[in-house]
Amino acid sequence: MISTVVLSTGLALILIGVWGMLTHRNILRIVIGFSLMGTGTHIFIVAIGYVANGTAPIMDRALNVAEAPARAVDPIPSALVVTAIVIGLAVTAIMLAYAIRLYDSKKTLSIDAFTESKW
Amino acid sequence: MAELIGSLLVLAGAVFHFSAGLGMLRMPDAYTRMQAGTKASTLGNTLVLAGLAFYHPSWTLKLVILICFVLMTNPVSSHALARAAYRIRISMTPQTVVDALRDAPERIRGRS
Amino acid sequence: MIRRAAIVLAVALFGLVFANLAAHYAERQSLLPLAKRYVELVPRDLGAANVITGILLTYRAFDTLGEVAVLFMVAAGVGLVLAARGRRNESSPGEAPEPPRPASEIVQTGAQMLVPLIAIFAAYIIMNGHLSAGGGFQGGAVIASSVILLLLADPHRRLDLDFLSYTESVAGVLFVLVGVAGMIVAGGFLDNRVLPVGQFGAFFSAGAIPVLSILLGIKVGCELSVIIDRFRPELSTERGSQ
Repeated sequence: MISTVVLSTGLALILIGVWGMLTHRNILRIVIGFSLMGTGTHIFIVAIGYVANGTAPIMDRALNVAEAPARAVDPIPSALVVTAIVIGLAVTAIMLAYAIRLYDSKKTLSIDAFTESKW
Repeated sequence: MAELIGSLLVLAGAVFHFSAGLGMLRMPDAYTRMQAGTKASTLGNTLVLAGLAFYHPSWTLKLVILICFVLMTNPVSSHALARAAYRIRISMTPQTVVDALRDAPERIRGRS
Repeated sequence: MIRRAAIVLAVALFGLVFANLAAHYAERQSLLPLAKRYVELVPRDLGAANVITGILLTYRAFDTLGEVAVLFMVAAGVGLVLAARGRRNESSPGEAPEPPRPASEIVQTGAQMLVPLIAIFAAYIIMNGHLSAGGGFQGGAVIASSVILLLLADPHRRLDLDFLSYTESVAGVLFVLVGVAGMIVAGGFLDNRVLPVGQFGAFFSAGAIPVLSILLGIKVGCELSVIIDRFRPELSTERGSQ
């Protein structure tokens, strides 16, 4: 039940991000939509690893070593998502650098002004 | 009994967070949106953390420190945003009557 | 009109696929065999209490090294894309950029109070990588956020880019050297048993994982600070020195 709710939240965020990227004309809002889509994907991936009535795979007072394989949540999607967050940051940084250069050339942030690639 | 008080406080905090989101959507210009977002969400944070302190009394000191951190950081960042918005001359809604920064002496205003 | 219809169609199709995914999802009742092996192996062999950090810094440490390389490429790429900006502005002196104005007093005072606290918090996160939730990447990002606060509070401050690039190179080289030591002394590249595994849950335990976390945190913090520094406008006094 919990993981279905979290899964649906992640998928809803992906949908909102895709809609935002397609609708807006301002470059910065497109970048925000991309970032939302990335966050939704990360939430979705972590939600897949949930085991029913499980807890985090960290052995402290709440979870001791002997009962960990029965009660811990899958650690592999979380490890993948740590990497994915850093890559998402990297792509966002490059997109923002491109946005700055685009603004320098045409003095506007609307992508309707950049028609050189249109035929 | 303690759980009831804690639940009521968390509920009040959630109501304030919701009103922060609603205010950010419905307010007319950038400054009022920033005000709604910061004030309501900081108070919502404080109430939720205070409600948690009733649920887990052993965490009270840590939660009080957390509330202090939130009070230190949230208003400072909102102030920086609002000053930056004023300096690049984002327009105010015509219902604004007082502009205290325009009438302030040069020493306080900086160069803007 | 057609564009709007196409957008609605695309989002609706995505929504259909996602609804299908969410409807046919059933929670797992037990771990996958690979995950079960990891959860059993990490506390026993590596001595780390945090399974995810054990995976990221020993079993999948090569991916972490590749990710550090990705961050380095991003810093270089952002520098390349934004470097041509300064030179282009020199050749067209139409509008000179305004000199950065000092921050208001509230931001300066707040920064003075907060930067030490943020730095302590970052160190806490890094050192807790093997004990509880935390790790090198997370702590490095928090260090970079303290650098952002410094730059916001004092726009005239120039970061010592030589020191940052030297530090991050040294941290990267040390990371690889610990890995090579793993090949020589212990099981394989970036094996964490080069240092004694120690007592489970103690502060200095889990072999080389704290050392790797610290190096990773330093490297990531310096990388992100350099990336952020590239986004600032060129200060007018700097152009003459280039």
